[in-house]
Amino acid sequence: MGKRLARQDLAFLRSGRVIAGAILVGTVMICALFAPLLVPHDPQEQNLITTLVPPAWSAGGDPEFLLGTDSLGRDVLSRLLYGARVAMTVAILASLGAMLIGATLAHIAGYFGGKVDWVIGRAVDVWMSFPPVVLSLVLMTGLGAGISSVILAIVLVDWTRFCRVLRAEVLVTRRQDYVAAARLVGFGHWRTLTREILPATMPLLITLFSIEMGIAVIVEAILSFVGMSVGANQSAWGQMIADARQTIYESGWNLVLPMLAIFVTVLGFNLLGDGLRRSLDPRLMQAREL
Amino acid sequence: MTPSILSAENLTVESRLADGRRLSVLSGIGFALEAGKVLGLVGESGAGKSMVGRAIAQLLPPGFGVTGGSLTFGNRDLVHMGADARRELLGREIAFIPQEPLSALNPVMTIGAQFGEHLARIGTRSKTRRQGEALALLEAVHLPRASELLNQYPHELSGGMCQRVLIAMAFASRPKLVIADEPTTALDATIQARIIALMGEMREAYGAALIFITHDLRLAAKFCDEILVLYAGRAVEKGKARELLSAPLHPYTRCLQLAAPSLSAPERDLFTLSGEMPGLARLADLPGCRFAPRCPNVGEICRTQEPRLTPVTAPLGDDPGRKAACFRTEMTPGIETRSHAASSRYERSSPLLLLVEGLEKRYRSRRGLFANTELAAVDGVSFTVAENEFVGVVGESGSGKSTLAKLVIGLETPSAGRIELGGRDAFDRSEAARRRRVEVAQMVFQDPQSALNPRRRAASIVTQVLEAAAPRLSASARQRRAEELLAEVGLPAELGARYPSQLSGGQKQRVNIARALCATPKLLIADEIVSGLDVSVQAQLIALLRRLRHELSFALLFISHDLAVVRKLCERVLVMRHGKIVDQGLTEVVFGAPQHPYTRELLAASSE
Repeated sequence: MGKRLARQDLAFLRSGRVIAGAILVGTVMICALFAPLLVPHDPQEQNLITTLVPPAWSAGGDPEFLLGTDSLGRDVLSRLLYGARVAMTVAILASLGAMLIGATLAHIAGYFGGKVDWVIGRAVDVWMSFPPVVLSLVLMTGLGAGISSVILAIVLVDWTRFCRVLRAEVLVTRRQDYVAAARLVGFGHWRTLTREILPATMPLLITLFSIEMGIAVIVEAILSFVGMSVGANQSAWGQMIADARQTIYESGWNLVLPMLAIFVTVLGFNLLGDGLRRSLDPRLMQAREL
Repeated sequence: MTPSILSAENLTVESRLADGRRLSVLSGIGFALEAGKVLGLVGESGAGKSMVGRAIAQLLPPGFGVTGGSLTFGNRDLVHMGADARRELLGREIAFIPQEPLSALNPVMTIGAQFGEHLARIGTRSKTRRQGEALALLEAVHLPRASELLNQYPHELSGGMCQRVLIAMAFASRPKLVIADEPTTALDATIQARIIALMGEMREAYGAALIFITHDLRLAAKFCDEILVLYAGRAVEKGKARELLSAPLHPYTRCLQLAAPSLSAPERDLFTLSGEMPGLARLADLPGCRFAPRCPNVGEICRTQEPRLTPVTAPLGDDPGRKAACFRTEMTPGIETRSHAASSRYERSSPLLLLVEGLEKRYRSRRGLFANTELAAVDGVSFTVAENEFVGVVGESGSGKSTLAKLVIGLETPSAGRIELGGRDAFDRSEAARRRRVEVAQMVFQDPQSALNPRRRAASIVTQVLEAAAPRLSASARQRRAEELLAEVGLPAELGARYPSQLSGGQKQRVNIARALCATPKLLIADEIVSGLDVSVQAQLIALLRRLRHELSFALLFISHDLAVVRKLCERVLVMRHGKIVDQGLTEVVFGAPQHPYTRELLAASSE
């Protein structure tokens, strides 16, 4: 692995789901990365003369505001593009954090077993018995609003998902004779874990990571909808939905467009995750070969 | 002439490849099976023997289909039969005995429920009559306490008992034909013999014809009336069982005969057939005889023309049905084992390498809520292994052989006892002691599928030791060592770039051995390393171990259930039963003049 990727390692690129998911996610990522270059207007620039302009293709639309404006006359397209920044930041950082904590504990628990496994297993049980929405709202109240609090809340709620699922995979791999063989040829615990077990759990890890990003996007939207994420001087998709509620009868587009953005992004992550799971999981691969 | 129950004529099965090409998987298979007779289909894995059984049941894998020839059951055409008609036939007039008895039974249903379901399907309406029939059948296969058995689940029975249940189910409908696909491969030798005897008994009692699919030529010769030997989808030889075994006419049959280790025959080297059976994809490149690349008698004609199965005069006895597919049958008896003098460096006075004293391993098993019972997997075992000595450990499954191996290598912690490796106490749990032990003892695992990391290339696997011991070693130096090791176990260097999934079973096991040899250990522990392999591959590996012993000098603790293989390889043997060593001594003495009753029982079961 590593330097020379074999053809079988790249086989996942042929899966339709992976390609579709990657295109969707890639588009959103590019929008987020280059938002300052792409936006036609300052997303915060209010223009009370041109409020609630419908999208350019409908009657009364203005080509200057491609997707129209909201009740304060702000350009919807620009706000969506900047909203993607918030969504992606949260998705990447929160998933990374949840993965690091969850995967580390899962590998320790699954590999060493015994008492360590018991302690970690019970901790996950207790943690998971809190309803996740309540837990995140309590956390948000304690941490205060803000994007870093959103990230922290997602990490603290969702690490258990990684831990549970990966521990089972580590246990299966641990029982393989090649892990025992690695110990016998003189591998220490660290080397056995990183060279023998981690490569085997990596496909699942990547898949979980991808799905978690989708979840993080939704959680961020929920929290910004109730106004606990970014401040009013920044735009986030959930916030846009919340704002559009007031003018839902005058301009439905203001509500539909951010929802569509969330939908497309989550669909992209789910397609990517599902496709990766199908093409990276050796058990599913074998089933196809037979 | 009695009419045949099942006859096949020129049966051809083809598979369609992704690129639209067609490959012939089976071709020109022909036989006629009379009522009450046993036909053996013999061949190694990949020979296509199971494919014949599947063609009869029309259970061919997707992409495979019968494209030629005929298959007639009684007077019905099996190839062009509709799905409904076939369903009527299968399980009623044609019954199957599967290879893996445990996985053939539904784990969440009691034996009684499964038996009842089967009987209901074949037409016994009344529930009480089903119960009675099931009991009678279970008694017919000599299962004790049949009425209790009906309420038990498959996991509560041993593999042998499950197979008896399945045999009883197979004969329940009084079928005309029973197809048994390797019915004893998954079972111990002592049970194997009884199952074979039982199948013979049932066949006689019910007057069914039997197709016995096996890789074991000798077993087939004992049990069958007629044998069809298959190689790479072709029938290569056909004849009466005993004549075929005693005087094979096709070189492949001859090689199989010479490659199987025996307990009774005088000491001789095993014949090692080079290479492996060609896989499906390679068949297209073999225009001539498919055995030609491996055949010791190969001639010009063999590479260009394909021999047909033609009648030949049997060398002994009169067998008008004797056929062989070979141009040069007259040369076959000339194939003999080459004698490669594999002298050992072991002498009686060699210093001690491994000392095991009073070794015990107990597992606590919980029955119910409070009752704890202790189970001794290894129970007070003491023995020694000297430098360069090959010691075999034999016993049935569950005798504690594998646990013993794990204890010696340090994968399990003993409950009591002492192990000394190379003069040092092996229980030192420190990291430094663990590193040291790498150079003294190594283990070759039983299942190469699980023992090789599927994400590493073969070259990286065999030099894993260096990764821990010399992490700074340059990639080229490591590659050189990998090539050395691969050459030592007889693999070409280019295989180093392959992943385990791209290697055959025999090649995987060689990689497995090469990894253990990388640290040049003084003691090699091998747990059933030739068990799952074909006879010819097994013979290659035995030859390899003997050659390596000559070249590298190491001691071997060889764990196996196969007494003949142990006899071939080891100077000394330990016989284990229920966690204890019941008999030990020099191999010739223990096997030649067995003293202990259990050793005698084992020998009787595995010889004839």
